Amino acid sequence: MKRRRGSAADDAAVIESSWLEPERFAVLFDRHAPHIHRYLARRAGRQVADDLVAETFLTAFAKRDRYDLGYSDARPWLYGIATNLVGQHRRDEVRQYRIMQGAVAEPEVPDHADRVAAGVTAQATRALLDAALAELSAGDRDVLLLIAWEQLTYQEVSRALAIPAGTVRSRLHRARTKVRQVLAGTGAAATYEELTTNE
Amino acid sequence: MNEIELLRELAQETPLPAPAELDAARARLVAAITTDPAAYAAAAARAAVEQPGPSTGQPTGPLQPAAPKPVLAAAKFMYGGAVTSAAYVIAILPFVGSIHGKVLGYRLTATPLTITVVIVVFGLVPVALWLWMARAVGQGRNWARILSAVLFTLATLQLIEGRGVAQVFCAALTWLSGLAAVWLLWRPASSAFFKSARAARSRPPSQISGP
Repeated sequence: MKRRRGSAADDAAVIESSWLEPERFAVLFDRHAPHIHRYLARRAGRQVADDLVAETFLTAFAKRDRYDLGYSDARPWLYGIATNLVGQHRRDEVRQYRIMQGAVAEPEVPDHADRVAAGVTAQATRALLDAALAELSAGDRDVLLLIAWEQLTYQEVSRALAIPAGTVRSRLHRARTKVRQVLAGTGAAATYEELTTNE
Repeated sequence: MNEIELLRELAQETPLPAPAELDAARARLVAAITTDPAAYAAAAARAAVEQPGPSTGQPTGPLQPAAPKPVLAAAKFMYGGAVTSAAYVIAILPFVGSIHGKVLGYRLTATPLTITVVIVVFGLVPVALWLWMARAVGQGRNWARILSAVLFTLATLQLIEGRGVAQVFCAALTWLSGLAAVWLLWRPASSAFFKSARAARSRPPSQISGP
């Protein structure tokens, strides 16, 4: 879905001005790099993310003259580039999910017993999710994570990955079904929800 | 809580990076920006505006924007078009001896030498046009890209008329060069450049100011 806000500060305006004034492109970095970095860190680890976020913006800068100015929001374009770069680090990504299965960040729960229970459940849930993500096909995972983590719409994911919106829907459905199957057997999601909402 | 919400909630535990963590990436981008040809040209234009000419005390010239990559690439394709047009002329010369009888309904009485001279002279016209167009589009002349589209159409006709493998090959190369150049010249980035260049030329020197 194309849209123009008409604001001089929108991403399309920044990119357009960078055609003749390249230094303007740094505005786009300052605006979006933190979120792109976090997305990449979740997918490939922080160390790899440091390098990939630079590669993402270097690629975007090199291709800025091909940007469709009909889209005021450049996030899908940047996430598309970032996702393609993650694709070149699939092994890093899968290893990241394996590592994350062991990492725990306990939710803040006042009661000690609840905290322990929530921590254990969070750890178990995260481990299951990471295992499920590692098992997904690359295409299904790309769609699921762009929608779940980065909250892109179907149309934005379609634009980011250069695939039809129907393919986005079918990939998302397939990915969700697989993840649901993994979680359903354990009841981890329900328990996690119960503990975190009762804080 | 469904799996999407669960993924989203767990993802929130990953913090945004501290600004210092992005310094290295930003430095790489800034390095790429400063070595970009457009940045060089923009800096040179700014310097020209800021330093008045020695005799007049006025800025040395209008603030000419830098040609973006598609325009630079289009100019290269045009130089390529010039080369292949020249090759086309060379390729047609061996067939001079076979030109006899009637041409376009007129009885041909010229000698082979005269025909050769005519072919070379008329063959050099498209070469000169390609070179002229390449230079003009690099300077941001909008009429040049319109004329380039016309030349591309003529190259298409030449492709249809080609005789012999060498001629058809040269004509095809010229046509492809023209196609690439015309396509690049009408990209949005190119249009912005031509618009900006025209605005810069129409601006009187007194209105030119540094950024």
